[in-house]
Amino acid sequence: MNSDQELSRREFLGTLTWAIGALLGAGFSIPAVVYVLGPALQRRETETWIPIATVSKVELGTPTLFKAKIERQTGWITSQEELSVYLLTENGRDFVAMSNICTHLGCRVRWIADEGKFYCPCHNGIFDRDGTVLGGPPPRPLDRFEVRVENDTLSILGG
Amino acid sequence: MATRFATWLDERLGWRGVWRSIFLRKVPKVNWLYPLGSASLFVAINQIVTGILLTIYYVPTPDQAYQTVQYISGEVPAGWLIRGLHHWGASALVVLSVLHMLRVIFYGSYKFPREVTWFSGVGLLILVLGFGFTGYLLPWDQKAYWATTVGTRIAEVTPIVGQWILLVLRGGEELTAVTLARFYGMHVWALPAAMLLLLLIHLYLIVRIGISQIPGEKD
Repeated sequence: MNSDQELSRREFLGTLTWAIGALLGAGFSIPAVVYVLGPALQRRETETWIPIATVSKVELGTPTLFKAKIERQTGWITSQEELSVYLLTENGRDFVAMSNICTHLGCRVRWIADEGKFYCPCHNGIFDRDGTVLGGPPPRPLDRFEVRVENDTLSILGG
Repeated sequence: MATRFATWLDERLGWRGVWRSIFLRKVPKVNWLYPLGSASLFVAINQIVTGILLTIYYVPTPDQAYQTVQYISGEVPAGWLIRGLHHWGASALVVLSVLHMLRVIFYGSYKFPREVTWFSGVGLLILVLGFGFTGYLLPWDQKAYWATTVGTRIAEVTPIVGQWILLVLRGGEELTAVTLARFYGMHVWALPAAMLLLLLIHLYLIVRIGISQIPGEKD
């Protein structure tokens, strides 16, 4: 009944079934992948200026730890988090704000005043007072925040 | 290449025989009421897939359940779609399985030799209703809370064991975190396990016995 070229009814329906199946498969798997990956790939909310210290409280020549409470939206939970920043000034006018998070694997570094260095307790990362690496595994200096001073209030850009 | 690999696999697994007996089996000439079972199966698969996806963000505790559901619907990309499919699929599954059951009744398909298929199907329908009942509480909104309050109260009317059933369902006197957690556990572990077992029996019997003919005048 059919020549070799022609598509038989049976073949046509067979192909159609597979095509519908493929369409349904894509219809489920594409949203599924988007759904699973979406929140992981979403960008952080825009950064804001966070007031963290009064300028007069920052010691000259010594990194001083300041903390600020910030509200952070993670998934469906709004949580209070503490942001810790080391502030350093040599002249009382120019400020450097350094994260206390070690650039190696994310432990918290501590300023040891007697030694004049930052030490990371996890793998002995050592940083100078301006954050440059002096020893140990950290791959780069301590991360810095942008700083803004307004009416004796020092704010950092973060989120 | 593909054919050679298929043959290589077939020599080891015998999948062609399985394929033939499942998808290429002979069926009597029937009408469009017969695919209601396949339709139910399709929606059930939809419920499994979307349900698994929902558990990635859903948390079954009173202080977070509602927020996570809002998060899924409002924040997660395609979350509205996944939840929507699960929500509407639930209703569709109840409707389709009931229609499927009616078809089986009206065509007498439950008779010899298909009694076990029938009873496994009855079990599946009860499970579907169980899924509906437990799943309805999970969004933990006003509707869910009060529907389950009423639903468990209805169970309490059962003679003699009613009070006991209410306590077991709620996990105590009141509708609490305990209720939510056990409804969730039932919904995602106990009921699916039972359903998978019954579904395998049901499908195996359909493949083994074949579907029934439409009864003629003499039947």
